[in-house]
Amino acid sequence: MAAVCAASRVLGTKILSCKSLPAVCQANRQLHFSIYGKRGDAKISDGVSNQYPVVDHEFDAVVVGAGGAGLRAAFGLSEAGFNTACVTKLFPTRSHTVAAQGGINAALGNMEQDDWRWHFYDTVKGSDWLGDQDAIHYMTEQAPAAVVELENFGMPFSRTDDGKIYQRAFGGQSLKFGKGGQAHRCCCVADRTGHSLLHTLYGRSLRYDTSYFVEYFALDLLMEDGECKGVIALCMEDGSIHRFRAKNTVIATGGYGRTFFSCTSAHTSTGDGNAMVTRAGLPCQDLEFVQFHPTGIYGAGCLITEGCRGEGGILINSEGERFMERYAPNAKDLASRDVVSRSMTIEIREGRGVGPDKDHVHLQLHHLPPQQLAARLPGISETAMIFAGVDVTKEPIPVLPTVHYNMGGIPTNYKGQVITYKDGQDHVVPGLYACGEAGCASVHGANRLGANSLLDLVVFGRACALTIAEIDTPGEKLSPLKPNAGEASVANLDKMRYANGSTRTSEIRLNMQKTMQSHAAVFRTGDVLKEGCVKMESVYKSMDDIKTFDRGIVWNTDLVETLELQNLMLNAVQTIVSAEARKESRGAHAREDFKDRVDEYDYSKPLQGQVKKPFEQHWRKHTLSYVDPETGKVTLEYRPVIDSSLDAEDCAAIPPAIRSY
Amino acid sequence: MSLLRVCCTAARGFASRRVFLESTMNTAGLRPAGYASGGVTKDKEPLKKAKTPQGRFDMEETESKSKDVLERFPDDVNPETKEKGGPRGPEPTRYGDWERKGRCIDF
Repeated sequence: MAAVCAASRVLGTKILSCKSLPAVCQANRQLHFSIYGKRGDAKISDGVSNQYPVVDHEFDAVVVGAGGAGLRAAFGLSEAGFNTACVTKLFPTRSHTVAAQGGINAALGNMEQDDWRWHFYDTVKGSDWLGDQDAIHYMTEQAPAAVVELENFGMPFSRTDDGKIYQRAFGGQSLKFGKGGQAHRCCCVADRTGHSLLHTLYGRSLRYDTSYFVEYFALDLLMEDGECKGVIALCMEDGSIHRFRAKNTVIATGGYGRTFFSCTSAHTSTGDGNAMVTRAGLPCQDLEFVQFHPTGIYGAGCLITEGCRGEGGILINSEGERFMERYAPNAKDLASRDVVSRSMTIEIREGRGVGPDKDHVHLQLHHLPPQQLAARLPGISETAMIFAGVDVTKEPIPVLPTVHYNMGGIPTNYKGQVITYKDGQDHVVPGLYACGEAGCASVHGANRLGANSLLDLVVFGRACALTIAEIDTPGEKLSPLKPNAGEASVANLDKMRYANGSTRTSEIRLNMQKTMQSHAAVFRTGDVLKEGCVKMESVYKSMDDIKTFDRGIVWNTDLVETLELQNLMLNAVQTIVSAEARKESRGAHAREDFKDRVDEYDYSKPLQGQVKKPFEQHWRKHTLSYVDPETGKVTLEYRPVIDSSLDAEDCAAIPPAIRSY
Repeated sequence: MSLLRVCCTAARGFASRRVFLESTMNTAGLRPAGYASGGVTKDKEPLKKAKTPQGRFDMEETESKSKDVLERFPDDVNPETKEKGGPRGPEPTRYGDWERKGRCIDF
């Protein structure tokens, strides 16, 4: 009874203090974590705000994000002896990496004779020669070592009869620079490679003494004189603000699929890292390259396999017509993914979509015999019932083109250091690193090959840790930081917490998503994109009129969703404006009015006698986009692609050619 | 003080009360309509066992396993490719993308 009374007394005092006492007094209450061990040097400061308690922490390195790349970087740094903090808004095993169930590519040579240089060629070709060949060289050369390292950490890859890692054919991989047939390079863990990777890395990271700050939402970078000195974050559990001062900051926050109405990403994929970097005045690279899949279930966002169409499924518009016959008379529904996506989008734009909003089409499978369907595609009736609520033997599945991956992100060099481009040269931003889907090294270029993104995570997560270990030593004294650093972020937080306009966060978000889905999706032409840019500008301005409802500070999800919407907006405007400016078709960015690739030479003809086009007139270059957060205006610059590999003798660079499969 | 008492009784009794309510609702819903009037109406369906937490775990092990569409290979070894510990069911990459249960996981 005494214990219960004591517990209820504590409960009671917490209830009272939140309602009746003014905000200033809350600075004296107990913080939710106890300061012990290495966290002993966390100090409360009032230099930033006298309304919000701000706690200062000092570390050697801070990693923002705890997915595959973030965890690899965090424990790589701890292993090297750095005092590392990992700040994440989700529990590490809930990051979106857990949903990546495909395999991981590596030229181990277990199924046939293989060479990482052939993997290098496939990746360069897949990126449509927009990938930086030094980064691709680094990734494919490190791939076998990375996979073996994961296996040594305990990741249970599937095995062949003699105990080697089993590799299967997947993701456009070939032998002998495209001339030797299909390569078997994809390693997997039963059906859940990403899940297993994340759990393996998390388990491994607990061996080292990384300090995890779970459910801390990173607000902004602390930049001073062009150098990154740390991160400021909101603790969602008790509403306190924390400044993590560190000499090295690694951003591994993932992609921004949620800018589109239909995407396979979790609700938490909101491009926080890209937005933090944009607000710091640094560029983001190649954001217009977004990978789509034609048949994603409407509303749910999971993708239906191409096998459905391979087994005889057909795409139907509102008139019941098999519209693919018009767009691809020979291949019909088995045309390539981008043709199918574009045809579906054209049908929807011309008003022949289905549903109350006429914004998707139907995938019909009920004309196939049910036993054949169950035998060839086991589990599809379950999938259709769970995600679409339809009985696949009676009704069609509603589908529309869906976003799956963002090739673009924060520009880095092959070592993982964030770069800016000034006066014709790459300049490293001291103290800032990026890896994973948030970074753009750029290995995927204009199009990502299957099973390469999990490899990207581990290789560049490790690369960031190695670069920091090379440049820096643990325990170095931190350079002084202004006492009011992070003031603007806290002011913005306060403004969003008490926002009292007229449109809710969810309405503005839906407007943005629908605009992006109809204007910046698969079907891109000049008029559609320009119209989209104008609409996005007005949606951006409507953020000034936002209304939030929850005025508390403890676990205020309304506030966090609003901050995430601000981040999504910055990503969305950069995506659509970069797409409008790029007047060519390359990889995932396909335009109807400019159907060809525009390189410095015309590679479909012999090079002799051709005049090299100047940098301004061709499009084999990276887009760097800057945004002014006040107005939402985007400025674009361009940066050349790195065409030389790290070691020309070891691995010759691949000269550009026409990409055909 | 009354507020605190309400809070602590609510906190303590909440878990047990919820289970209690659930079990009464279950049994109440399962009684056929004419039960109270005591007529000769036959039960259309047999009375189901109330799903108390204990009863729930008494479900047959085999019942849940047979519902799984993708069968386990014997010893987890794929008979055609001799892959140990690989994906269940047909080869996921047979259509060019990574397929599982009709969903495309990677492409």
